[in-house]
Amino acid sequence: MLFALLTGTLALSPIVQADTTLNAVRGQRLDVNAYAGEVTVHAWNRNAVRIVASGADQDQLEISSSATAISIRTHGRHGPPDEITLQISAPAWIAISMGGVNTNAKIEGIRAPISVETVEGEVDVTGGESLISLRSVQGSVRLRGAKGRINVNSVNEDVEVANSSGDIAAQTVNGEILLQGVNASSVDANTVNGDISYSGPIRSGGRYALSTHNGDLTLTVPEGTSAGVTVSTFSGDFESEFPVPLRGTRKGKGFNFTLGSGSAQVTLESFQGTIQLVRPGSEEDPARRKREHDRDHDED
Amino acid sequence: MTQDPWTNRLSEYLDGELPEWERHALESHLESCAECSLVVSDLRRVVRRARTLKNPPPVTDLWPGIAARIGAGIPKAQDVVDLDAQRRVRRQWAFSLPQLAAAGIALMTVSGGAVWFMSGAARQSVVSAPVPSSPPESTPAVSVAMKPNASQSYAAAVADLERVLADGRGKLDTTTVRIIEQNLAAIDRAIAEAQRALDADSANLYLNTHLAETMRRKLDLLRQAAALVPVS
Amino acid sequence: MTELGLGVATLEHEPTGRTDPDAVDATLAASGDASAFERLYRTHVPKVYGLVRRMLSDDDVDEVAQDIFVRAWQKLGTFRGEAAFGTWLHRLAVNVILARRETLGTRRKRYVEGDMVLETVPSRRATPEMSMDFEAAMERLPDGAREVFVLHDVEGYRHEEIAQMLGLATGTSKSQLHRARMALRQHLER
Repeated sequence: MLFALLTGTLALSPIVQADTTLNAVRGQRLDVNAYAGEVTVHAWNRNAVRIVASGADQDQLEISSSATAISIRTHGRHGPPDEITLQISAPAWIAISMGGVNTNAKIEGIRAPISVETVEGEVDVTGGESLISLRSVQGSVRLRGAKGRINVNSVNEDVEVANSSGDIAAQTVNGEILLQGVNASSVDANTVNGDISYSGPIRSGGRYALSTHNGDLTLTVPEGTSAGVTVSTFSGDFESEFPVPLRGTRKGKGFNFTLGSGSAQVTLESFQGTIQLVRPGSEEDPARRKREHDRDHDED
Repeated sequence: MTQDPWTNRLSEYLDGELPEWERHALESHLESCAECSLVVSDLRRVVRRARTLKNPPPVTDLWPGIAARIGAGIPKAQDVVDLDAQRRVRRQWAFSLPQLAAAGIALMTVSGGAVWFMSGAARQSVVSAPVPSSPPESTPAVSVAMKPNASQSYAAAVADLERVLADGRGKLDTTTVRIIEQNLAAIDRAIAEAQRALDADSANLYLNTHLAETMRRKLDLLRQAAALVPVS
Repeated sequence: MTELGLGVATLEHEPTGRTDPDAVDATLAASGDASAFERLYRTHVPKVYGLVRRMLSDDDVDEVAQDIFVRAWQKLGTFRGEAAFGTWLHRLAVNVILARRETLGTRRKRYVEGDMVLETVPSRRATPEMSMDFEAAMERLPDGAREVFVLHDVEGYRHEEIAQMLGLATGTSKSQLHRARMALRQHLER
């Protein structure tokens, strides 16, 4: 393998394979623009960015470094670039901005802001701090272990956030939204054709808004939760595994009730699906069902 | 109260504005100072409370005055949404809850028709159901659903964006185009369903809000799709 | 009738990236579409009204809130879409509020030194709405401390911005914020 420690602008001629390492200085961000292919970023403990690229030789890969950014871009000579595979090692402190069209993005171990936009690819991120924005049109978006202001968005596939904390906005049109093990004080989850499930503490003073048109809502409610709950549906059902202090129900209308002192604000809306409250660990708890599913499908 | 020398730095600590060395020193202090730890905890709660303060709209609708000052003209009687009537409808529904409670039974229907009956002891811990809250902050729904001019503007905006997409579809991947069209169709179906429901119950606050939000989802998706079209 | 030509041109060359749900209405309103502006008003009036109510302790909250939207209509031509419309409107609202406070004549010293003691908030009837006591306590803060607290903790501005808006040193903004928070901590629910 060939290493080159470089600073400044480096433009490579058409390549089959390249392995390049650049110094990284705090204050720089990492910009990756790969039209198509697989981009993987792993954190390592060096103040440097290493790029290992492999792909068709028509691709042109441009790598440059300025005071504010290390940039990696693909160019096609005639029309869009062909697919490329980029394996990038980067310092955990580096903020990442990634864009692509037919690009799958996978990022692990970064403790800095992350922004990813792709059209046809999937986004899979473990980590991220402060500001995390992940968007795909056709692919799913998965985020784990993040902390900060989180915005995850797909159009046609599922959106999943797990074991993360902060303020969460999750949106899709034709997919499910799964929020598990999240510790959030503000949640806004919205889909048209899919289910939504939320499991995590419902914090005092927090705001939680879950809304779907055609899907079911499942909210896992820990014991001792203090929340004012507003339920709205047109032709859906409401179910709860535990008694709630309802004063009356009217199917197809909305109603409110209060758990504890009503400190948090919870809004549950499903136009024609079932809105369901479950306890942690119950059979209907999505987190428990996922653990069992993963365990049953664990072939190791 | 003893004034700990660190007390005046606690807000800056909370906001992440202390230099690193000072932050470390303060955190060491917090490990052994229960009072400062309590203050930090309280300040954190103050900040959280500040962030969750509610913003009810003004009691009086200010729009007529604004419209007059910007020369938008006096709205015609049939175009004006009677917000007082909206509030009266909501209050009527809210009043029905105590009436049900007076019957002495709290009911909740579970799927399959089973019903929970709360025991007397449990009923005593019930808090009065709050009156339905004021319209959510982002509610242009009333005007969208009931003012013909607003509907025309929305339709015009949608038509503009659809034209951009139609003109640019040849520049997009066919799968992307298909996915976008499928999802627009899904949103259109949701809009139609919400509109039909609203036609039968025009004062329903949830349906108004839901329709507006779904229409906004369509605009958002159209804009997102239009932004994908390469600018030639 | 709306001049859609301008709106279409703007939309076609919209840069990629974040979508502002108000951008279409802002574009239409800038072309003279009052219905679009009304939609913007209905979307944003709760937050604007809350800001006015908390920043000004006088009785003309309705009038100032109206002034803000009238000013926004007049200034729509300067909205470039670089920030979200709500952000732009909010900043305009702060400017209108600050201008008003200057025109109300001499005010007592705004930035109180020393310990700050709030009047005892009268006990209220039991209500599940805990933030009413907290809001009442905010109203009783001295003007300067309340303004800094509202701008920083409620509205999210940074000290550097607040200092510039209010004509303060950054250090004064920080100390006023701390004093406000310390005074308000007694009015949290337990």
